[in-house]
Amino acid sequence: MTVVESSVADETAEFRQEQTRSLLDRLKGPAVGLLLPVLAAIGWELVVRLGWSAGRLVPPPSVIWATFLQLAQGGELQHHAIATLTRVAVGFGAGVAAGTIVGAITGYSGFISRLLDPTLQALRAIPSIAWVPLFILWLGIFEASKVTLIAVGVFFPVYLGVMGAVASVDRKIVEVGRVFRLSGTQMVRRILLPAVLPSYVIALRSGLGLGWMFVVAAEFMGASQGLGYLLIDGQQLGKPAQIVTAIVAFAILGKITDWLIVAATKPFLRWEDRFARDGAN
Amino acid sequence: MLVLDRVAKTYPNGLHALEGVSLSVALGEIVAVVGGSGCGKSTMLRAIAGLDMPSRGRVVLDGMTITAPHEKIGIIFQEPRLLPWLTVAGNVAFGIEHLRQPERDRRVATALARVGLAEKANAWPRELSGGQAQRVAIARALVPRPEVLLLDEPFSALDAFTRADLQDHLLALWADTRPTLILVTHDVDEAIALADRIMVMRPRPGRIFDEIAAGLPRPRDRRSDEFDAVRRQVLDSLDRSLDRASANATRERLTAATYASETADLACGTK
Repeated sequence: MTVVESSVADETAEFRQEQTRSLLDRLKGPAVGLLLPVLAAIGWELVVRLGWSAGRLVPPPSVIWATFLQLAQGGELQHHAIATLTRVAVGFGAGVAAGTIVGAITGYSGFISRLLDPTLQALRAIPSIAWVPLFILWLGIFEASKVTLIAVGVFFPVYLGVMGAVASVDRKIVEVGRVFRLSGTQMVRRILLPAVLPSYVIALRSGLGLGWMFVVAAEFMGASQGLGYLLIDGQQLGKPAQIVTAIVAFAILGKITDWLIVAATKPFLRWEDRFARDGAN
Repeated sequence: MLVLDRVAKTYPNGLHALEGVSLSVALGEIVAVVGGSGCGKSTMLRAIAGLDMPSRGRVVLDGMTITAPHEKIGIIFQEPRLLPWLTVAGNVAFGIEHLRQPERDRRVATALARVGLAEKANAWPRELSGGQAQRVAIARALVPRPEVLLLDEPFSALDAFTRADLQDHLLALWADTRPTLILVTHDVDEAIALADRIMVMRPRPGRIFDEIAAGLPRPRDRRSDEFDAVRRQVLDSLDRSLDRASANATRERLTAATYASETADLACGTK
């Protein structure tokens, strides 16, 4: 083997090693995140298999998996998951739109803030369940009341996040926009929106989390479909495996939708100069 | 021609920052403004930039009264104020978005090359040193080709080497289009190295106290006897401006104290 061939071979080997390393690095993040639930599942499975617990009220993972497969094969799980996802999507969209607009106006104008914020803060303190009877009276027991309840849940964290972010945009940065004679719309597009984006993403994620919490409350309002219905059904028919399967489905869908927000906004936040643990988001 | 006509500024909290400041600056002239802290240097610059309106008097550029930021006036602040979500090139292009893409790219590339940051065009502001960030700020202020460029202590946060380097960069850039420069600084050497004229201000309220012509050939040698002579002249003037100001303040305080004492005496019937 010539020196050149040897060098090329070395480089190829190094390249392969690097590729393997980067693949491992990419897998390491999600794998670490799965460690705790997987260990807990294995632990509980062992506890039940060894006979230390009957596993009747808290079924072992094997039973939950079997229920999961059974519900999925019959199409029931998908049907309920889609119903829940649709409600969350519509409620989240409405809540985000309202929270963003009201939050931006309140953050921008001191007068509007003094006018609206005290009332909104008082409304924010009302527990979600307290709205249920009123929404049923106003909007009936069908989709409108459920989506409205979710939108209310999403609205407040988004409103609070946007208002705080807009109000705290650095005056010196805004002055740069003034020096370059930006119009009101340009100021919003070129200075305020990018400046508030990191806080906005956090507000969206908080809002989505509350959306998922509120959808359960909403589906307790006499729903005939949705993961919340599966929970109630499991409770009434004494099927803990179905309840845990629905809970796991909530967890999976919640995590996926949260990840979607993070992934969709990541390219816009590459500029951030922040302290973050490896893989943290 | 930039003219300040008896400009005064009183802030809502009652602070009397400027009083009767009048100044004429010709196109292409470099004027440095020096003075102690709180003598209204930055307030004057903000009034010229149209960022703050004078309480009395007016700022006139080419016969037009400045009431808001104007396309002919650029400003470089003490801190770079780069927009962290834009790359270096994006920051430099910030004020020329209205231009066509090829012209915009050409101006940005030229400006970055002139400040020695061509290879950093795609870097984020967080990846720059303080001196590099301030060079980007200089490029950003110059690409719209302002007629007047205001500099509010732009090098004060930098070390001596970087400061001297940036002063050279600034002079090189100024030579391209020769805008009017008004430089506020605490650094007397910087004022003499860059300016044609040095305005000395005195505080409480801020006024122009003295005007000194630098009158030295460029490039200026900071170790020359001529430079040293101007330096002494400026320092003497600064000393006198601060002495007179503190003497005035003392006199004002004494007058007020005497008045209060006399009032108290009258009230007590001792007089």
